[in-house]
Amino acid sequence: MVDSPNTDQIYLQTRDSAWRVRAQRGWELTRTMLANPTTVIGLTIVVLLILMALSAPWITEPNTPDAYQMPRDWSAVRVPPGSPGHILGTTNRGGDVLYGVIWGARTSLKLSLMVVSLTVVIGVVIGSVAGFTGGRVDEVLMRIVDVFLSIPELIFALAIAAVLGPSFTNIILALVVVFWVKYARIMRSQIIRIKQSEYIDAARVIGDSKLRIYLRDILPNSFTPVMVQATLDMGNIVLVGATLSFIGLSEAGIAEWGVLVSEGQAGISAGRWWAPTFPGLMVFLWALAFNLVGDGLRDVFDPRTESAR
Amino acid sequence: MTMESEHPQDDAAAASDKLILSLHGLKKHFPIKEGALQRVVGQVRAVDGVSFDIRSGETVGLVGESGCGKTTLGRCVSGLTDPSDGAVYFNITEGDRDRVDALRDIPDEQRSEQEREELAALDEAHCINQLNEQARRHYRRNCQVVFQDAFASLNPRHLVNDIVGRPLQVYGEASGSELTTRTVQLLEQVGLGSQHLYRYPHQFSGGQRQRISIARALALNPELIILDEPTSALDVSVQAQILNLLHELQRERNLAYLFITHDLSVVRHMADRIVVMYLGKVVEAGRTQDIFERPQHPYTKALLAASPDLSDDTDTEIPTLEGTVPDPAHPPQGCRFHTRCPVATPACGWDVDDVVRGLENQENLFDGLSAVNRVSPFEAQLTFDNEASARALADTLHSNAISASMREALEEAVVRDRTINIRFNPAEEVELTERAPGHIAACVLDPAAR
Ligand SMILES: Nc1ncnc2c1ncn2[C@@H]1O[C@H](COP(=O)(O)OP(=O)(O)O)[C@@H](O)[C@H]1O
Ligand code: SF4
Ligand SMILES: [Mg+2]
Repeated sequence: MVDSPNTDQIYLQTRDSAWRVRAQRGWELTRTMLANPTTVIGLTIVVLLILMALSAPWITEPNTPDAYQMPRDWSAVRVPPGSPGHILGTTNRGGDVLYGVIWGARTSLKLSLMVVSLTVVIGVVIGSVAGFTGGRVDEVLMRIVDVFLSIPELIFALAIAAVLGPSFTNIILALVVVFWVKYARIMRSQIIRIKQSEYIDAARVIGDSKLRIYLRDILPNSFTPVMVQATLDMGNIVLVGATLSFIGLSEAGIAEWGVLVSEGQAGISAGRWWAPTFPGLMVFLWALAFNLVGDGLRDVFDPRTESAR
Repeated sequence: MTMESEHPQDDAAAASDKLILSLHGLKKHFPIKEGALQRVVGQVRAVDGVSFDIRSGETVGLVGESGCGKTTLGRCVSGLTDPSDGAVYFNITEGDRDRVDALRDIPDEQRSEQEREELAALDEAHCINQLNEQARRHYRRNCQVVFQDAFASLNPRHLVNDIVGRPLQVYGEASGSELTTRTVQLLEQVGLGSQHLYRYPHQFSGGQRQRISIARALALNPELIILDEPTSALDVSVQAQILNLLHELQRERNLAYLFITHDLSVVRHMADRIVVMYLGKVVEAGRTQDIFERPQHPYTKALLAASPDLSDDTDTEIPTLEGTVPDPAHPPQGCRFHTRCPVATPACGWDVDDVVRGLENQENLFDGLSAVNRVSPFEAQLTFDNEASARALADTLHSNAISASMREALEEAVVRDRTINIRFNPAEEVELTERAPGHIAACVLDPAAR
């Protein structure tokens, strides 16, 4: 009975259509999102920035031995934009501003991806534990989260980075410490909400295990608010990270937008605007673009409208 | 599937004394917590001592207004919540059930060592909260639920294929193409088909969603399905289709149903027996025909009167129900129905709370109330700011503002200074008594006197 060709045919055909249905749903959501012009602008900038970051080694000559270090052209210090070989000019230490802009995008992508993935994992785990166990464990964890959330992100990250000492790794650490809390809170409230839904009862009645209910019902249904927050944080992390670098909590000389702004700021009074302006603009663009996309996602996945789709 | 549907007829005689389910004094109380410390300040007595049985292949209708504890009872039976007291037995013979009843009626400390062991053995074999691992699995597979809100009970991100096939996956019964085949079979049994496999719940109508829900409940071939208001969210025409489907499935598969509903007319043609519940307690139970033709309890009569398509064949003198179900955290004394009963007697359990309940909407009567000293549910001293207010209340208590039965139950309403002492004749809870073979009701009114 199992191996009759007819059955297998249905099976294969329908498995195929399962993917079609899922893809179609994805496409519908994408289309709704693309109907919003600001989201489209944000998404376009995001794509361009990421392309720039990914193609850095091909569109510039990577510095040796470490491409993330600014190359120094001591023969062309403080040249203005449009100079031969230095389209966006150089800093007062001969750093090519264009190189900094491009490799800075790569640094930002690395930083934000690293911090977001670490904080999402930490937050989801802690939030899940709090939401599932409840009682004292939940109370203690959420008290910690509340304390963390009561301190402004920037000040908190600054304090931690200052204590750890100036280095790029310490900036990552400081950002991770500051940014996990929101995921913990989102995840906890999602779990508490979803735990009470009738489809969880239905899964318990058929005898599915707690772990599988968590993986099949709870995680997928709490995924969207986490994803929205993660998109917003892709922007915020770079903004806070650049600010810390600007203050001097990163390593001097690396291709990072905050470091470049800090390196170039002294020249502003002398009219050398280009060294801080271009990297500063990049930080602004990066944060803006991810926030636009995050807001667009939030609108599409709004729980009040989503079930209607 | 065909194999299974063939033998129940032959086994019917042998299995007739097998009870799929037996509830013994089932209680579920929810603590009411208050303040930052979450102190327990009271108990919502949602289910408060319920006992009845369901036989193999039988449909029992559980009827009562919304808020009477029907869903809570269903959740205890399906193992979704643990009862506060009492027990649910699964797959037990009548003999063993009688033995359990006898043993459980002995107070804990008076049971002998031997009796204790005997009860523990019976509990481990049949009581759903104490089953050993293997029996637990057996019970879990054999007791399924169809929820009231089909949409809420289907994961919005799962395709019908995942939803209906999931029970089979959980028990490792099928995978790959066999899983698809069996899922399609299940869908066909509920009037859907393979064209519905890869759709999301929101792409279906209410009736179709309930069909999906039923298909999921059937997947493991259970002996008992708890149907919690399976049709009350549906249009009338769709209701009938779903009821027919449930009826057919029962005939094919020898299923037992616990059919929960607030509408007696829904279970009229489905149920073999009916249990009527009011505020956590059973007030009447019996064969469907007896309940419809010779209802014993005023609450049942009122429910029948409230059901539009049934009202003509019942006592037309009984008015429909007024008001709503009282708060189960403070159930009325005596007969819990006495606050709304059209034929309540002085012996029905009038209490101090009824004074407040009954006179709440009388203007200014309780305005000057400054202290209440409760001696018992039936006796209290109410102190007012001035003597005139106390006298006003006393006068009202002796007037037509309260029912004649309540006035008669009032032993004392004396004023001393600013305090009025109110005392009612105490009443016990009303026990269920047998009115006819297999027909019980809890009401002080003697049917012979009518
Ligand atoms: N989890 C809960 N916590 C506190 N009270 C509850 C809970 N579930 C139900 N109740 C209360 O128990 C009573 C019975 O509810 P329910 O079983 O849903 O009744 P029904 O299904 O007959 O309408 C109601 O007063 C309800 O408010
Ligand atoms: S005991 Fe009977 S008559 Fe008295 S209140 Fe209850 S239902 Fe009405
Ligand atoms: Mg209910």
